[in-house]
This record gives sequence, C-alpha cells and structure tokens, in this order.
Amino acid sequence: MIGLSDYLIVAACLFSLGVIGLFLNRKNVITILMCIELILLAVNINFVAFSHYLQDISGQIFVFFVLTVAASEVAVGLAILVAFYRTRRSIDVEDINSLQG
Amino acid sequence: MANVTFPFPFPQHLELMLPEIIIAIMAMTLLIWDLFLGKDKKAWIAYATIATCIGAAFATLYITTGTPLTTFYGYFVMDPFASFSKLLMFLATVFAVILSLDYMKDEENVGEYYCLILFALLGMMLMVSSNNFVTMYLGLELMALSVYVLVAYQRDVLRSSEAALKYFILGALSSGMLLYGITFLYGVTASFGFDAIGAGLVSANDSAHGVVMLGMVFVLAGLAFKVSIAPFHMWTPDTYEGAPTPVTAFISVAPKIAGFVVFMRVLHDVLPAVQADYTMILVFLAGLTIIVGNVAAIAQRNIKRMLAYSTIGHVGFILMGLIAGNAAGYSASLVYLTVYLFMNMGVFAIIILMRRDGIQGELLDDFAGLSKVRPGYALAMGLLLFSLAGIPFLGGFWAKYVVIMAAIETGHLYLALLAIIFSVVGCFYYLRVIKYMYFDEARVSFNFIENPLMKMTVVVTALAVTAIGLYPEPVIGICRQALVGLI
Repeated sequence: MIGLSDYLIVAACLFSLGVIGLFLNRKNVITILMCIELILLAVNINFVAFSHYLQDISGQIFVFFVLTVAASEVAVGLAILVAFYRTRRSIDVEDINSLQG
Repeated sequence: MANVTFPFPFPQHLELMLPEIIIAIMAMTLLIWDLFLGKDKKAWIAYATIATCIGAAFATLYITTGTPLTTFYGYFVMDPFASFSKLLMFLATVFAVILSLDYMKDEENVGEYYCLILFALLGMMLMVSSNNFVTMYLGLELMALSVYVLVAYQRDVLRSSEAALKYFILGALSSGMLLYGITFLYGVTASFGFDAIGAGLVSANDSAHGVVMLGMVFVLAGLAFKVSIAPFHMWTPDTYEGAPTPVTAFISVAPKIAGFVVFMRVLHDVLPAVQADYTMILVFLAGLTIIVGNVAAIAQRNIKRMLAYSTIGHVGFILMGLIAGNAAGYSASLVYLTVYLFMNMGVFAIIILMRRDGIQGELLDDFAGLSKVRPGYALAMGLLLFSLAGIPFLGGFWAKYVVIMAAIETGHLYLALLAIIFSVVGCFYYLRVIKYMYFDEARVSFNFIENPLMKMTVVVTALAVTAIGLYPEPVIGICRQALVGLI
C-alpha cells in the first residue's frame, strides 16, 4: 500500500534535486529552467497527495493554477534567455558574469 | 469535500474590486491603443497610465470603509490596511512613470512598457488584498512575471538582460520554495485561507509540529527572497544595477510594499501559533540583513548598486517592525515604507536627471561638483541622502525611530542596538556622496534632462521628506489607523 508519506518522500526528492541542480549546475541555463520546473512539479505532487489524503478538492484546484503559472513563467524565462543570447552569444552559466561586485 | 454549486452565483459586493477592475481594463485598453499610436505620440500612453493610477486612487478612497469587507466568495479582502498600501503603490507607480518619460522614450514599443507597469501594479494590488494563499500566489506571480520583463526591457543592453535572467532564476526558485511551504501548511489544515490556516495551526496536535515548522520555514524563505532579506538578497544588487533606472526605482519601492504587506498578513493571520519560533528566525535574519546591507554598500562605486545594498539595509529595519509583532510594530513598518518611498524615488529621480550616454550619472564620481552647477539638485539630493542616513529631523530619522522603539518595547534590545550601530556605519556611504557633491571639483561636464514633471518629482519628494521630518504625527497616525483591517 502506497501511503501519504511515500508521495511526500518522492516530492521531497524531486524538490531537492531541483534545488541542488539549480546551484551545482555550471553548464547551461536551459538546465536551470528544467530544475525550476522540477521544483514546481514536486510542489504539485505534494498538493495532490495532501488533497487526496484530506479528501479536500481545493488542493487539486491549486495545482491547476500552479501549472498555468509555471507555463507562463517558462515562456517569460525563455524569452529573457533569447534576449540574453542575442547580446552575449552564449547561454553558459559561466558567461553570466558582466554584473559583479 | 467542499460543496461546489455550478454555475457560480454572481459575486456579492463586486464594487470592492473597482480599483483592480479599472487598472486591468485600462492596462488592456492601453495595450491595444498603443498599436494605433504613431511613434512620436507614445508619451500619451504614459500620461494615460498616470491618469489611470490617479483614477484608481480615487476609486480606492471611495470604496474604503472603516471595516474589512470581502468579495469574490471571500477570496478578496478590502480593508483600510489594503487601501493604504494600495495608495502608496499608486504613488510609487506614478513616480516610476514620470521617471520613465525621458529615460525610455527612445526604446522600441514603449507603450508596452507602461502596460507592463500597470500589470505589475495589478498583481501587487491583488497581493495586498489577499486573505488566501491562492489569491496571494496569483498576484505575486503576475507582479513577478511583469517585473522580469520590465528589468529586461533594454534588450540590446547586455547588463539589462543579464539582470533579468538572474532575477528570473532566483525569483522562480523563491516562488517554488513559497509554494512548497504552502503545501505543508495546507496538509496540516486542509485550507488555503489565512484565517482558517491560522486557526488550524492553533488547534493542530503536537505530532504535526515538525511539518508546521517545515512549512513555516519555507514560506518565510520564499517571502524573504521577494523583499530581499539576507541571506536571500543575492539577486538585488545585480538586478538593481542592470535594470533600466526607472525600473530600478519602481522595483525598489512598490514590490517591497506589497511584499511586506503580505509578510505582515502571513505572520499575523497564518502563523500566530508559532510566533515564538518565527520571531527567533526573523531576529537573526533582520540582524544579518542590516549588517550585510550597510557593510557591503561601503565598497560600491556605482550608485545604483550602492542603493541596492542600502535597500537591503532598510529592509532589515522594516523587518524589525514585523518582529515586534504588535500594532505599534506593524504601523512602524508602514511609516518606514511610506518615508522610504519618497526618499528612494527622489534619489532615483536625480540619478536619472543626470543621465547621459547610458551610464553617466550612475558612478559616484559623476556627482563630483554638482553643487556648483546645480545647487538646487545638490540640496535636494543632500536632504534625501541625509534622510536615508537617518539624520534627525528628516523623514528617515522618524522612520528609524519608530521601528527601533517598537523593537525595544517588545524586548529586542540587542537587535535595536545593532540597528543603531549599523545606521551609523550606513551614514558613511550616504555622506560620501554629499562630500562628492559639495567638496570635490567637477570632473565631467553635466548635461541634465530638462523635464518639468521630473523636477516636480524631485521637489515633491524632498519637501515630503522634510515635512514628515518636521511634523511626523500625521503619517504615524494614518499608519496606525490603517491597521484596522489587520489587528
């Protein structure tokens, strides 16, 4: 029997993977976008698991809002990335370095 | 399972959303109107934006009553607290639009820029009127997504898009952390309403304590990111430096107001059951924020970057009011936000007035000898910087005074002492700019933007800071009354 805690552990693993990937990644900004998506999906798993466990529908409704916002967030993120690429000609994480101090 | 009837009945008291409706409709109308305007007439959009903000401000005053009222099935609350913070945000938006008039006029599609400001404003208005994590999250994201684009608006300039990229990555991470925290609070209480979660946490049994702590820490971290509390402040200096200066002025004030209002609602309504725990965390964060902001600002040569660290320092002070956690503390934070709005907008107005060739006016050296060329600007800048430093009998002094008093009265003496010591440290980098202006020879030739509205902004902010400094009671009184909806 798969219980609430199993879902929460999976979500916690996904969340940690997302955060660790965000900070350890030295290669590519696209990977960062994927890590952000992973974090939001972990949140959604949490919501759905709790929603089912508590027999309360509002958690699942919130998931739809999160999905919608995640989609627009990625759209804005990729647009900014394209603008950055046009001037910098690179999307390596190491090349995001003109502002420092 | 909650019972849902379909179709939904028409929401009662929809007129409470009148300011939001005005802003939303005008933002979309301007977006379409922009398509039909010639390139030389884009300034009309800016004036229409200012008119929209003034109209929405009157609508807000018109619908404000002394008691909290809700609409949209209880998902939207209109109380004096929300009204007051909305009025502050309208003022900040009007100032930001005035600052943009000259700075942005050569950019492409400048009409969309003003529409994005209105959408960001709409998101912030929803945030401050939320009594529910759903409304709060949607408002927060509407604000954040609009602001990411605003920061990247000079897309041919490398530092603008780089600033937006950094802001976007850390902003998205903070939203994720906030949401992850909300899931645990939801898991304990089966609700998203602030009051319902608050009541649920009070009656939650001890076995859920760990989960509540987890949720609380993540929610606090997410909110701390948004208002740039150390150690979640890494994005602030880069974003402030890279963004177009009017956008920097806008994001240094308006989202801070919205963020702190949400912060107060969350602390007061959602987390009263764990007040001892969150106070301990916030005391640590506030101390760290004040130290990091004031020490790091000393090393900066770019005034936008310096003001970013100074913002972090001020955020630490505002946080002290929240730590006090009573009516005096919350109203002190509101006083600080009000005074901070005028101080920061005035300083940024002068920075923009000095702009030439993109970057000029941003380095501290560029201010050398200003007093000989334009004594009026130098005097206004001096007043505003003295106020930021907290020199007595200017607005900034009373703002610091009320938060420090609130912290002392609730027993946070060491934090108050730390704040006083580091506000003295902070004086150094503000006074350094004054030294450049008054005691150094001019190194560059000045070339000021001549714009009557911007000059008016400088005069109004300098006068407001002086007036609040000489006679602070009205502002303190209004901020106290504004708390009716919260406490």
